[in-house]
Amino acid sequence: MMPVILARNVDKQYRLAKQDIHAVRGVSLSVATGEYLAVVGPSGSGKSTLLTLLGGLDQPSAGSIALLGQELGGLSDRALTRLRLERVGFVFQRFHLLPVLTASENIELPMAERRVPRAERRVRTRELLDYVAMSHRADHRATQLSGGEMQRVAIARALANQPAILLADEPTGELDAATGREILALFRRLHGDGLTLVVVTHDDRLAADAQRVIHMLDGRIAG
Amino acid sequence: MSWRRAVRDLLRHRVRTALSLLGVAIATALLLDMVLLSGGIERSFGRLLVSRGYQLRVSPRGTLPFDTDATLDSAGQLLAALRAEPGVARAGAVLGTTAFVRRRQALTPLVVYGVTPEAQGIYQLDRGRDLAPTDTTSVLLGTPSARRLGLGIGDTLRLVGRLDPRVAAAAVTRLVTVRGLARFVYDAKDQPSVAVTLRLAQRLAGPAAVNRASLFMMQTTSGARADSVAAQLRRKYPAVSINSVADMVAQFRLRLSYFRQLSLILGSISLVVTVLLVGTLLSIAVNERIGEIAALRAIGIARSSILRQVVLEGLLLTVTGGTLGVGLGIGTARWLDAILTSFPGLPAAISFFVPDARQLSTAAITLLITGVLAGLLPASRAASTPIAATLRNDAP
Ligand SMILES: Nc1ncnc2c1ncn2[C@@H]1O[C@H](COP(=O)(O)OP(=O)(O)OP(=O)(O)O)[C@@H](O)[C@H]1O
Ligand SMILES: [Mg+2]
Repeated sequence: MMPVILARNVDKQYRLAKQDIHAVRGVSLSVATGEYLAVVGPSGSGKSTLLTLLGGLDQPSAGSIALLGQELGGLSDRALTRLRLERVGFVFQRFHLLPVLTASENIELPMAERRVPRAERRVRTRELLDYVAMSHRADHRATQLSGGEMQRVAIARALANQPAILLADEPTGELDAATGREILALFRRLHGDGLTLVVVTHDDRLAADAQRVIHMLDGRIAG
Repeated sequence: MSWRRAVRDLLRHRVRTALSLLGVAIATALLLDMVLLSGGIERSFGRLLVSRGYQLRVSPRGTLPFDTDATLDSAGQLLAALRAEPGVARAGAVLGTTAFVRRRQALTPLVVYGVTPEAQGIYQLDRGRDLAPTDTTSVLLGTPSARRLGLGIGDTLRLVGRLDPRVAAAAVTRLVTVRGLARFVYDAKDQPSVAVTLRLAQRLAGPAAVNRASLFMMQTTSGARADSVAAQLRRKYPAVSINSVADMVAQFRLRLSYFRQLSLILGSISLVVTVLLVGTLLSIAVNERIGEIAALRAIGIARSSILRQVVLEGLLLTVTGGTLGVGLGIGTARWLDAILTSFPGLPAAISFFVPDARQLSTAAITLLITGVLAGLLPASRAASTPIAATLRNDAP
């Protein structure tokens, strides 16, 4: 079966002043459909950079990445944006909800961008709010929610367009232990429902939940 | 949702938004006033010139009506000749001079218009009875002179003619009766004017004014075009100046061109101010929200959507500020109009700020384009935010 992600010899270098920073070095990686993968490693080892490349937010300096068989290297910015909208869900450490929108408006946003009819949007939003157990806060502004609540809304937003893969960078990084556990449970449920997940984390419990863990060190996969 | 979002985004910083709105409103008010001002005075002047239905003026060669103290000679003959011209329906003569009324010990000066009552275009009778063509014992008072002299219909007064220092003889005096009250259409505010027959005005103006007039006013026949009648008369009477209303407006326009340029410059400055205000506000807003914007790009929101949202915000700011500005502009226009029209020597009936649908819609469209332009720079900066680097830097 075709992997959701196939990365070959991916390199990412940043040029800062005179110094070259080699954030990712020769990473090859395949993520199968329905797989739950955790990426761990010390700070600065290149985890976020790798996730950024896998999700098509940035281009690698060398190597290639294919998402659902599609080579990202050949895509225009517009096509890449479309691909992210339709096939990739992102969850950030700091949630990044729009503070002026309510929980449901935030979830509707990616669907509105895809021009999903309003009625359909409403139904799907209600389902998603229910899925992340946030129905009771549907009409609250993002700023009125707690960290854990914001993250649950952010996960619902990431799921809005039924992506093929969910990419998360330290999704429990800003949350206390108990709240982190709720998010963990949510990820486990998503995995159970067949979603492909790649989660960058410092959280051992989260890593323990994953099917496979890759360790990064100095830009390389260490095992 | 986009409009609602733009509104909410603007409400994130209420004071800042309110101040910017105020700025846009003031700039709009200035733009509006300049637009009204640049064309308004011309339109108003043109309207005033034909307000009594007389489209042509004859004045001493090289002058405009009442521009100088120069007068036309052989007024009676010239008037008769003009009345006989084809294309001319009515013609009347006017002599402007000064006279005095003796009250207690003081002499009160008056502006006297000598007219041919059967054909005159300078006053409108408000009350009482008009002058008769050959009557030399009657006078019509304008409101300011009636008020100043404390006189009404039926009262009598003694008019003292012009005092010419070169002539030893005493000035002409005439006892006249007030027959009516009139409104003088070309008068400045509070100008103390009275109307008498041409004959009497010529007497009061002294021996040099016998058979003279300051100008003639003519109405063309209904079929004739004023400009072609003017051209035809010009060929026949080369010794005088013949102007149609269009000619006079053109002259006036020429004199005001400096003024118009100034209002164009001020209007443009107000647009630049709008661009700077809206552009600055949006740049600050985009900077503050750059992390949000990068996250939106990450989850698949297109550059064009980001661009549109920022431009929308700018447009909203411009339209709201602009709407407030229209109210403000109309208010200040009224106020400035009252000040400007009370300038001495200007007909009080002239209005400086005259709205014109086409000019106003041009100004509105210009303002909208300005709003879009102002938003475009910060919007394109927002849309081209590098996603990964911004998300990274936005983290604590
Ligand atoms: N945009 C950038 N410009 C310059 N250097 C960068 C950039 N992004 C990442 N780096 C560098 O690349 C290296 C890897 O960074 P990255 O953020 O991927 O690490 P990480 O494993 O996610 O660390 P952490 O656990 O602290 O989040 C670091 O040395 C970092 O300074
Ligand atoms: Mg990281």
